[in-house]
Amino acid sequence: MVRKEIKILNKHGLHTRPATALVTLISKFKSDVFLEYNGVRVNAKSILGLLVLAVEPGAILIVEANGIDEQEAVDNLDRLAQQKFNLE
Amino acid sequence: MKTIKGVKISSGVVSGPVFYFERGKFTVPKHFIREEDFDSEFERFNTAIRKSKDELTQVRDLVHNHLDEDHARIIEAQLLAVQDEEMITAVRELMIREKRNVIWAYFEVMDDYEKLLLKTLSQFFKERTADLKDIKKRVIYHLSHEKDIIQPEILKPSIIVAEKMSPGDLMHIDHNLTLGIITRYGGVDSHAGILARAFRVPYISNINMIQEIVSYSEIILDADNEMVLLDITDDIKASYESRIQDFRRHRDNIISDKVANSTKDGVPYHIYLNAGFVDEVRAMDPALIQGIGLFRTEFLCIERNSIPDESEQFHAYKAVLEKMNDLPVVFRVYDFGRDKLLAMLDLEILQEDHVFDEWGGIGFLLDNPEILKAQLRAILRASAYGNTRIMLPLVMFVDEVVRTKEILETIKSELKREGLAFGENIELGAMIETSSVLEELDELAKHVDFFSIGTNDLALFLLGSGRTTGLTKNYYHPKIFRAIDKIIKASNKAGIPVDVCGEMASDPYALIGLTAIGIRSISVSSGALAAVSDEVSKIDVQQCSLLVDSILSADDAFTIYSQLKKFYHEQLE
Repeated sequence: MVRKEIKILNKHGLHTRPATALVTLISKFKSDVFLEYNGVRVNAKSILGLLVLAVEPGAILIVEANGIDEQEAVDNLDRLAQQKFNLE
Repeated sequence: MKTIKGVKISSGVVSGPVFYFERGKFTVPKHFIREEDFDSEFERFNTAIRKSKDELTQVRDLVHNHLDEDHARIIEAQLLAVQDEEMITAVRELMIREKRNVIWAYFEVMDDYEKLLLKTLSQFFKERTADLKDIKKRVIYHLSHEKDIIQPEILKPSIIVAEKMSPGDLMHIDHNLTLGIITRYGGVDSHAGILARAFRVPYISNINMIQEIVSYSEIILDADNEMVLLDITDDIKASYESRIQDFRRHRDNIISDKVANSTKDGVPYHIYLNAGFVDEVRAMDPALIQGIGLFRTEFLCIERNSIPDESEQFHAYKAVLEKMNDLPVVFRVYDFGRDKLLAMLDLEILQEDHVFDEWGGIGFLLDNPEILKAQLRAILRASAYGNTRIMLPLVMFVDEVVRTKEILETIKSELKREGLAFGENIELGAMIETSSVLEELDELAKHVDFFSIGTNDLALFLLGSGRTTGLTKNYYHPKIFRAIDKIIKASNKAGIPVDVCGEMASDPYALIGLTAIGIRSISVSSGALAAVSDEVSKIDVQQCSLLVDSILSADDAFTIYSQLKKFYHEQLE
């Protein structure tokens, strides 16, 4: 299992477009990936779960991955978040 | 009494109770399922998701290729949401645990997501509930075989009051129960507006006091004078009574007599119907009309917020043909301008957009052959059930017609191989509405069976004005009449028929001008049919032909307009 904190830098937080980019990326990995925010934990492959988290700008999320490509999944997600999901 | 001013979208006068329409409010059919039915019920859900996914994928690709990346991402999000694994698991568990039918379970799960979104502090996330409603509507559409499941519960004929009305919303409302429409947002060119006019539902918009209207039990909607009357007294009601009755008669009687088939002096004349909705055609009596001169197929897409698959299209076209018995029906293949694509997706429209983008019409379809092929297959299969013609919109080059004919031939051999029936000798026509094709009319005439003049777009191309600004009377311009004259001459030379299917044909003065220069066949919307028929039967072709020279040599639109107006009042009234 790999755990890491990632910061959401996008202006409006993890809204529809960055959430779409996140789910699209994570769905490529075989591992189970979860995100935790304000004590709520959701499946990172679920766009609906991600949207209802309503992650605010500047928020810190905990990402947790379990599976054969867990490290890769977390690293890729971290990089994407730092690049503001290639949106801004 | 109190009045509120608005903007007319569709004319008429009605009185009645108010129904407040909220988007995405459905009556959910709820029942319990037996254990042995669980698998088939859940399988229906999988099928509905798969169909929704296919539609959204096609829409996303279209938007991506023809609009922009940004809008494509919104569709991408819907695509992910419609097949969200967590959501599907939750629905499945709810079905097992509570033995609920799938629509009920699905609604509940989606409702929970909506509630969670609404609970968030950020306005930005709250607004996303609109997306969830769209997704829900799409999946429910595929889950429900009966259309009425997604209709809001209007129990008696009412005036619908809403913030906004999308074409999709309008389609799901029972026309017989909709007396009129009042909204805060909505424009004349909106597709909800086109629909309201097609079904003759009075509609006014730009009304800010929606909530106040809702508090009244009975109101008068006077769309002709662009106002809503509240707090109506018996006197006011009595003074409106005859106008309301007149409108009701006009609305119920689309046309009461057979449309005219010749002019006053016995010159044969064809008057066809423009339509875009299957329901609209169902309301017509084929014994009274001569056929459908323009069936706008893209309206099927606007109704459904996606491009229907071949089978769905086939059933729609077949229904139209069967209703029309053996009268001709001209199916115009999809005419997707950027505006129609946006309307289909029901996205907030960028108002500044130009109508004639670099794509649209047949050129766009040839760039997206899978869409064109599915549509042509559907039309050809339906052609076994009636008198079918095919028309290509916005033809720019002869080559586009040649390529379309090749595709048609390929499809015909496919259908033969598959043992599927289709009509023989299906005529193919081209719409003449761009400036570039005006230079190739003789060559074009060799490849098609008829011409049809789209005056709205022709005016845009020749005069270059936007659809929203001052289009109203610009077809009186001498350039338009000279272009139409040129088209008539080319069609006569080639021996193929020509008609006018644009708005111009239903303008009483312009119709005289068209007839004067040689038009003998027109296609107009159902609302204009009775008036146009009456006018044609009163026109004396010999008399109006005397106007030809002065029309074709006029310097400006006003000269033509005044002449035609004078002729109309002297000869026809």
